[in-house]
Amino acid sequence: MKFIYMCFLGLCFLSCAEKKKDHLVIGVSMLSMQNEFIQQVADAMEVAAKKENVELIIVDAERSSLKQIEQVESFVNQQVDAIILNPCEYEASSPAIEKAKAAGIPIVNVNSSTKAEPDAMVGSDDATSAKMAMELINKKLNGRGNVLMIQGYMGQAAQIDRERGAKEVLAANKGLTLIASQTGEWDRAKSMNLMENWIQSYGTKINAVFAQNDEMGLGAVQALLDAGKKNQVYVVSIDGIKDAKKSVVEGKLDVTIVQNATKQGEGAVLTALKLAKKEAGVARKIVVPFEIFNK
Amino acid sequence: MKNLPTFFTKSSIGGILIALLFVCILFASLSQRFFTPANLNVILNQVSINAILAFGVTFVIISGGIDLSLGSLVAVCGVIVALLVQNPDMPVLLALLATCLVGLALGAFNGAIIVASKVPPFIVTLGTMTIGRGLALILSDGRPISDLNESFYVLGNGKFLGISLPIYFLVISFFACQILLSKTVFGRYVKAIGGNEMASFVAGIRVNRIKLYVYMLCGFFVSVAAILLTARINTGQPNAGLGFELDAIAAVIIGGTSTKGGKGTILGTFLGVLFLGVINNGLDLVNVSAYWQQIIMGGIIILAVVMDGFYQRMNNKN
Repeated sequence: MKFIYMCFLGLCFLSCAEKKKDHLVIGVSMLSMQNEFIQQVADAMEVAAKKENVELIIVDAERSSLKQIEQVESFVNQQVDAIILNPCEYEASSPAIEKAKAAGIPIVNVNSSTKAEPDAMVGSDDATSAKMAMELINKKLNGRGNVLMIQGYMGQAAQIDRERGAKEVLAANKGLTLIASQTGEWDRAKSMNLMENWIQSYGTKINAVFAQNDEMGLGAVQALLDAGKKNQVYVVSIDGIKDAKKSVVEGKLDVTIVQNATKQGEGAVLTALKLAKKEAGVARKIVVPFEIFNK
Repeated sequence: MKNLPTFFTKSSIGGILIALLFVCILFASLSQRFFTPANLNVILNQVSINAILAFGVTFVIISGGIDLSLGSLVAVCGVIVALLVQNPDMPVLLALLATCLVGLALGAFNGAIIVASKVPPFIVTLGTMTIGRGLALILSDGRPISDLNESFYVLGNGKFLGISLPIYFLVISFFACQILLSKTVFGRYVKAIGGNEMASFVAGIRVNRIKLYVYMLCGFFVSVAAILLTARINTGQPNAGLGFELDAIAAVIIGGTSTKGGKGTILGTFLGVLFLGVINNGLDLVNVSAYWQQIIMGGIIILAVVMDGFYQRMNNKN
């Protein structure tokens, strides 16, 4: 619905392009509006845009980098003042950056990166969040114990980076053993199935679980609770979505590493705005730090 | 079942039964944890949602149709039941009833378009698949719906006599479908229509009405599966059920139901579901790497279908 609404807005904008506009327009292409975290980033953008009196055209790429490139092409045709890209993929979304740059429209990446260098990047480093999660597990287990890792959708940038971060900590701490690692495809139900199967095969050997996002962390927690094993297993996940924070407060999930959606969204809009106004000395890379949310 | 060898060669489910036994023996030899009562409970609990969906779509496929909208409609029903039980004043039973009615209505919508327009079910349900996903997103505002009623949670995660509750739903659905397909006039008509629609029409079967009922039945089972899924993960998610239609249809085909319609059994479908579930569970137990899991899964499925084809041919020769 939002997409249709935005398309309609875009069309209106095209038809009255002749008129002199009194505010700047920023085109935004988001990875997937079905993802709660991405939605929170988009919400923060809209709040910031309202405050700055900028018009946002937000479109959903539905996880397709092809669609994302087409959307950026259409932004170029509409002659927006700046573009914000929440890349679907590291390599495959790169042409979108090049197209915007060729047209002389400033482009800002939010949340994740692309191979092609944008004019600015606002986000957090996925590998860092995984490192933080594993460090917490290491500390909790006093450097000795068995860990399970629930991976995201195999081959996606976030999965690759989070795996890399986790493996770095594992390599540095020989006392920690990764007894198994499988994909839960970012999905709560799938990860719950996986955890149930793991409980069958590893039982009391499991000391900690690292889930690469909150949805999967919550699935694992539920399976552990049902098996009456939650008090023996420490569970950490990433993102800080509403359900996860609530679960932490209730004493179920142990920790969620919070990506700050508000700061990412806000930062992206403000940076895009500065670039559109051709201000000098705009920061090219804004790193939004992660926060640890525990009880 | 007097003579075991002839049972395997004569029965349409002989192939899948042997395939299932094969994977069970394989995993039992690789992991001591496989053949334990607790793990069998886990497997049955995990397959119950796919089984219930597959039972419904078995009727559709036997009647010569297909339903690709299963997964999306699971999301719609899941979001609706979550929205209903989010309200603490709402009696859970009423919410479940309302969700089942929605399932029936969604199925009727599919069926009515297929019957009235004569457009192939593949295309119609491809359309409703997209509509359904959009509907689930609008109803939920694109976000998971949590804070559900406590008693609803029990439905998906509780146990009775040491057996998980969804398994009871699985068993009831199995017997209901088994009786409906093999012991009633409706079941015979469904097979007749799938076998030869024109002849059925000439013989006086109200083809359109039966087809409509078949899709409604499928919609009903979609709502039951959606309720169990939502209760199990304790949230209504607009992106739930992605790819469920493929799992369900795969189980039906592996279970020996003909893609051309006309023949198939509920027991075959159940064995197909069990086969997929056992592979999923077993691969996790022996910790096969995530990339290899997909290759092995695909390989075993093809092997099962090839074996089944082999048995069918032997069957025909005899």
